[in-house]
Amino acid sequence: MKTYSESSTKAPESLLDRAYSHIDGIEQDGLPAPSIEELLQRNADLWRGCDMAGQGVHGQSTGYPQLDEVLPGRGWPQNGLMEIISPHWGMGELQLLIPLMRSVIARGQWILWISPPHLLYAPALTQAGINTDQILVVNLDTSCKDALWSMEKALQTKNCGLVLAWQTWLPGKVLRRLQLAAETGSTLGVLFKHRDSKYSPSRLRIQIKDSSSSSADFSTADVTVIKARGNFRPLTTRLKLYQHHA
Amino acid sequence: MEDPESTVQLPLPSPFGAKAEVIELPLPGQPASESKQDSTQFQAKKPDNLWYAVYFPQLAQLTESQQQEHLKELAAVLESISSTVSFHPQALICEIRSSLKYFGGINAIHNKVNEPLKEALKQLSLPEFFLHAACPTVTGSLLLARSGHNGLVYRKDNLRSALGQLSTEVLHLSKEQNRRLYNMGIRHLRDIWRLPTDGLRKRFGSEFMNLLKKALGEAPDPTQNYLPPPAFSTSYDLPYEVESLDRLLPIADEMLSHLCEFLRRRDLSMSHLVFYLKHEKRNGTDINMSLRQASRCNKHLLMLLETHFTNLMIPAPVIAMKMEVKKFDAFMSHSESLLAEDKPNGRQYHDNNLYQFMEQLKARLGGHFVNSINTVAEHCPEYATRQIAYDEMEITSRAGDKQKSIPLTPRPFLLLQEPQQLILKNGKLYHSKPITIISGPERIESYWWSGSDVRRDYYVALEQNGSRLWIYRERSGEKNWYLHGYFA
Repeated sequence: MKTYSESSTKAPESLLDRAYSHIDGIEQDGLPAPSIEELLQRNADLWRGCDMAGQGVHGQSTGYPQLDEVLPGRGWPQNGLMEIISPHWGMGELQLLIPLMRSVIARGQWILWISPPHLLYAPALTQAGINTDQILVVNLDTSCKDALWSMEKALQTKNCGLVLAWQTWLPGKVLRRLQLAAETGSTLGVLFKHRDSKYSPSRLRIQIKDSSSSSADFSTADVTVIKARGNFRPLTTRLKLYQHHA
Repeated sequence: MEDPESTVQLPLPSPFGAKAEVIELPLPGQPASESKQDSTQFQAKKPDNLWYAVYFPQLAQLTESQQQEHLKELAAVLESISSTVSFHPQALICEIRSSLKYFGGINAIHNKVNEPLKEALKQLSLPEFFLHAACPTVTGSLLLARSGHNGLVYRKDNLRSALGQLSTEVLHLSKEQNRRLYNMGIRHLRDIWRLPTDGLRKRFGSEFMNLLKKALGEAPDPTQNYLPPPAFSTSYDLPYEVESLDRLLPIADEMLSHLCEFLRRRDLSMSHLVFYLKHEKRNGTDINMSLRQASRCNKHLLMLLETHFTNLMIPAPVIAMKMEVKKFDAFMSHSESLLAEDKPNGRQYHDNNLYQFMEQLKARLGGHFVNSINTVAEHCPEYATRQIAYDEMEITSRAGDKQKSIPLTPRPFLLLQEPQQLILKNGKLYHSKPITIISGPERIESYWWSGSDVRRDYYVALEQNGSRLWIYRERSGEKNWYLHGYFA
């Protein structure tokens, strides 16, 4: 509890400091102030209220060009918490993350899987080009409290580049705490859920919809960005997942 | 020229005889005062070292390794008088000049170790006697001790005459060399002193000459000091009973900082630590902390202990706490992250932090809850993946079997531990919604040699609600359909 209360009071200030530090510092040095466009490009905490996605390049590419288009910063956020909502398991929720996982592994960081609903299958990871040496799995039978504790600790650790967790419902307080942990460790945390909760403090919420219209279409899926810092309206795009299934 | 304070010729005791007795040092009385005078004279110039040698002739009958073992036991006794104990064949030598004044003379030192050494010998079931001597050179004192003279020589100048009285046997030469010396008519070391060095070197080799020079203090005689194996244990009695484990943390912090200070001084780190919590009228509680990566960072250790405490239930209030190190390791300097915290954008991924994190995970969840996964070259799907518990993980040596067995057909990310039977109704498959088969079959047949035959046709399927499934149909028995995985 201690960590939470401390960081929660500090975080908004530091966020503001960071946002303004660029402007202040540069003016003091007497250098020409950068244009607003430049700041928007680089800083993930600044965006134009009237514009939609596609501002800046501070994200890390998702590997799916259409998805990059609808995400602010043209990619996944560098840190923070994001939620992937799929009404059922097996809708391509992990497919979305394959390129990201590959780049995390290539950076030499670890991926922690916290209580996946079923056995994590190593051959599938190898097929997707993900090195299993840098993967740690926390068992499903771990208690919820312990799972959350390990998620928070992992998010705070810089060696973990990506933390994946399957939690169907979490209160906003817990989510906020995880979000702050992810910011301090500059780690990306992903929560897989079945249902969307409107007031979640996560940085990004993405929903995968069942492609009921084209039932026989295996590889395409509709992905909706419900909420992202820098977007005010949901954007939907159709992606071709399951690329290595061809 | 006879040295007043040096050795007196005494009959050589037979080392293995039952009557072997330690002969008292011929020091007390008049020579002692003179020695004091001597030492004051010389201190102005350069105080000679004084090496105290203890020789155990009875060890010669034992094997080399046994000798080493016994010498270690005996060295522990000598550690009480000097920190510079070195091992020699059947003998121990330590420097005592620096502690002469402290103990109040050579006699006091001898008396201090005499009884404990005999006690130690008794414990080792060896004859309870030893020979001893002291002189300003290491080899010299060893030779003196071997001779059984129990002599004492304070000054280097007197060494030559003192050693001269010794028989050549004390040099422990080879038979051939002994024979040659005998044939040359040499019985004592003083006979050797009279011979020209060049000739001696030619006949007996430079090693022989070196030995003599060392004995006389003309050649350097380095020794390797024996460092007893490290041990650390500390305990703390609480002034009152403590029920909340959190209140033990400040005490633990202090104990750990003592430990880390000890480790730093010995340039060690440790990888296994045990905390004992003592309770009144109940059995104590043990907290085992074994680390994958040896550490001596008290912050990290305290954090681990705190994590252990969160899961710990104590049967009764704690009245005392004890800490003991079970395993020491050499300190690896790279494990200390020097500037990692100072970097604003932590772009350095030190393994060190990761190990600390994994240890914390293990401390909280227990070793078998944290797993690493691996692909196994195996045809049957459920055996093609393996979870390795954290405790059995070998992080360094796992690079070998990469890409050895990637199946060509797609495999699901999530595999069901137990396949789930699907419902077949009116020729249509149902899970929770109707299922359409997309591709397949992929036939997998294995384990026909064991009792449980695996004969399956695998299909990739799509459930109407959007789930991508991996299903199979048994080819024998009731030919049921099963769900085996999700293409998440």
